[in-house]
Amino acid sequence: MSKILVIDPEKCTGCRLCEQVCSVKHERVVNPYRARIKVVKWEMEGKILPVVCQQCEDAPCAAACPGHAIARNPETGALEVNYTLCIGCRTCMNVCPFGAMGFDWVENRVIKCDLCGGDPQCARFCETGAILYVDKSELSSLKQKKGAESLMDLMTKVTAAITQAG
Amino acid sequence: MSKTKEESTAKKTVRGRTSGQFRCLNCFERLTPPPGAKIFTCPNCGYAWRLSWFGPGEPRIRGPVWDVNEAQTQKSMAEKGGN
Amino acid sequence: MALSRKIAYIDLTNRRVRTAPIPLEMRRRYLGGRGLDMYLLYNHVKPGADPLGPDNVALVSAGLLTGTLASASARVHIAGKSPLTGLVGSANMGGFFGPEMRLAGFDHLVITGKADGPVYLWIHDGEIEIRDASHLWGHDAHQTQTLVRDELGDDDIQVMTIGVAGENLVRFACVMTSLKNAAGRTGMGALFGSKNLKAIAARGRMDIKIAFPEEALDYNKEIITQVTSAKVSKTMQKLGTLFIWGTTNSTGLVRVRNFQSNQIPHADDIEPESIEEEMIGTAGCFGCQVHCRGRYFIKKGPYTGAYVEGPEYTSLGAFGAEVGCTTKQTVLVGNHLVNTYGLDTLETGSMIAWAMELFEKGILTTKDTDGLDLRFGNDEAVIEAVHQIAQRRGIGDILAEGPLKAAEKIGKDAIKYLIHVKGMSNLHSDERPTPALALNIATASRGSDHLRSRPAIDLYHLPEKVLRKIFGNPVPYDGPLTSDYRDYEGKPWEVLWQEMCYETVDCLGICKYHTVFLGPNMPNFSEWPKLIYLNTGLEFTPKDLWDIADRAYTMERLFNLREGLTKEMDWLPDRYFDEKTDRGLPVVRGKSIDRDKFRKMVDEYYKLHEWDENGQPTEKKLKALGLENEPTHKL
Repeated sequence: MSKILVIDPEKCTGCRLCEQVCSVKHERVVNPYRARIKVVKWEMEGKILPVVCQQCEDAPCAAACPGHAIARNPETGALEVNYTLCIGCRTCMNVCPFGAMGFDWVENRVIKCDLCGGDPQCARFCETGAILYVDKSELSSLKQKKGAESLMDLMTKVTAAITQAG
Repeated sequence: MSKTKEESTAKKTVRGRTSGQFRCLNCFERLTPPPGAKIFTCPNCGYAWRLSWFGPGEPRIRGPVWDVNEAQTQKSMAEKGGN
Repeated sequence: MALSRKIAYIDLTNRRVRTAPIPLEMRRRYLGGRGLDMYLLYNHVKPGADPLGPDNVALVSAGLLTGTLASASARVHIAGKSPLTGLVGSANMGGFFGPEMRLAGFDHLVITGKADGPVYLWIHDGEIEIRDASHLWGHDAHQTQTLVRDELGDDDIQVMTIGVAGENLVRFACVMTSLKNAAGRTGMGALFGSKNLKAIAARGRMDIKIAFPEEALDYNKEIITQVTSAKVSKTMQKLGTLFIWGTTNSTGLVRVRNFQSNQIPHADDIEPESIEEEMIGTAGCFGCQVHCRGRYFIKKGPYTGAYVEGPEYTSLGAFGAEVGCTTKQTVLVGNHLVNTYGLDTLETGSMIAWAMELFEKGILTTKDTDGLDLRFGNDEAVIEAVHQIAQRRGIGDILAEGPLKAAEKIGKDAIKYLIHVKGMSNLHSDERPTPALALNIATASRGSDHLRSRPAIDLYHLPEKVLRKIFGNPVPYDGPLTSDYRDYEGKPWEVLWQEMCYETVDCLGICKYHTVFLGPNMPNFSEWPKLIYLNTGLEFTPKDLWDIADRAYTMERLFNLREGLTKEMDWLPDRYFDEKTDRGLPVVRGKSIDRDKFRKMVDEYYKLHEWDENGQPTEKKLKALGLENEPTHKL
């Protein structure tokens, strides 16, 4: 079994509880700027997008790391930084297409989502379903169901409109 | 396995919560309408309520069925006045 | 650590900033937020100071738990002498500013004097700069936040700001943050405006240390579940605070056409479910899973395409029932305008509704309004009146002065039609059938007010056993308590209990939707000590917290008495006694408040507070709270 974080930006309310609990779990402090997840907002336009590591299969961070310090934890499937090998060059930050590799200026090192060792706090606390922690085998049906729901919504509206017009 | 620890007030409260019901605003009876019902008349006092469902199995009063409830009220006020 | 946050004294006249630690002793006495602000208010505002003069003080604060792992700990509190009432000015708001100010190193700001030109404050990582704001002056509350973020080059900056209404010293202007979060009541926006203070920007990266991180995470989860499993929360997650309308208008507990009816029938278009059709979802404040802020785009008219948050329940009265309007478009646009102008939606709607009744009675005519047809139900006139108030044009210039000053200017019998207490307008609620709620608005420290002491759960017909459990903790109470909301008996204790409950959450920086306000089984004195301990390491008993709330509330009372409060002002407008409700369910129809019984309620309320028959805290009471020597100038 291998689980993964799934983000649904449409369900995100922008409350940033994920940032808060992430920083407490990892750094024992509330400091959203030291969290491994960030809710990026275009506040005045009403746009919200949580950004977190996708644990890519062919991960650019791991591939680009000159010290081979980023490797997958076989138990959780998370890509983790081995700080004894990390040389602090931040190449991983440059190559990550999602901007999901962070830098903690307090400990002076790169930081990334480690799925909290298999109990990711962001998903634990997010009740809206914007962040889910699901088995990879459920991934397809999750997306299919969401697609079907919006299609069904549309069909209901169309049917209602036709009925009303007719 | 865990030792018998006293349950926190927060946990106790959650256990005590009910769903699927709403209370009649006139007689305060707890009512269980059929799922998805849009109008429900209180079997206790005869007041009729327009319902909305804010979650699966979670009804709430959207508003009165205005004419039905107004007629009921007129009647009951007249009866009271006649006492 | 949360407790290492500082207090900053900001002298705008001389452009000087001084910072100091906050002694633990003051935390133990007032926690923070509204509590400590009330101490500062009493100690820093000169008696009799002009609320719009340089001697008034603008206080900004985070609660003790703001930003910590206490669910919905997003609140920031603003205080000063109210430009609206001349008494306690106090309002708080959610959003993200409070936590950000803490991350930037500060819990309390004491802003004095007056800048010689527009300024804004820039707070970042332990430093405070006073910056020029000439280029921000004249911009609305949304534009200003974007301009500040652009100027400082950082989208993570949180900004609280006034809109044009605050600049124009509208006495019920508010301070805004994000799209719709407003420190709405008592005119704190006018206070900022009077100091030439346009905005405060904050961005911080300083850790807020959590005393017991793992345990705090677990307990936060428990508290969140307690809150979000409640029916009220689930309803709010979908409909926002609008949901309340389903109960109040259906029963007959709203005020219509100023105060001429208590129910607006067949107004289906402004029902919450109808407004929800316009929403694209809801938004949450920092760390909150209730996410009650509606989100929508305006689809018609001159503001088409604007992204807006809200509307709140309050706006259903302001742009609906009170002004006799029944189209959601007016509610949606009105909400957008008050948010951008930075106006208290409640006071704005109430002032317009009052002017409309004066218009109906012939006290105001088209001559006074420059032709504006202030008939009830005239949607366009309502929207135009909002513009005129914010811009201080025409009749708006008079209405911008707030209830009592406007009534004085208009003269005649205008004052008779005001629905206010202590110079602050009431919510669009009708308390004639509900003596408990009537006592709440009559005695609340900042005027007619539903967020100071409203025992809203009194409306729920809860069994006496449940009421005893809630209202008997942490201070034993063995007097009467009844399930019937029409009763006068036992209600003063409910009002006092809610006073202490709301004061405590305001000291902690937690939202009222996460305590006993709209739902009975919400966190309160039983849960807070553990929450405080796990987050800060400070130990309090439930009774300690009650005493702190009592101390803070007494400071408010002392301030009000010093600034001219009399016993006669703890009272309702005559219409509550003299006119009967004309609509609604049989339980609320034909109701008015009984003067003699209400007098007894007020007396009883004083007695429970250990205040004398004039509402003055007794010497014994002051000593018990350690307030006999105030002002003590410890901060």
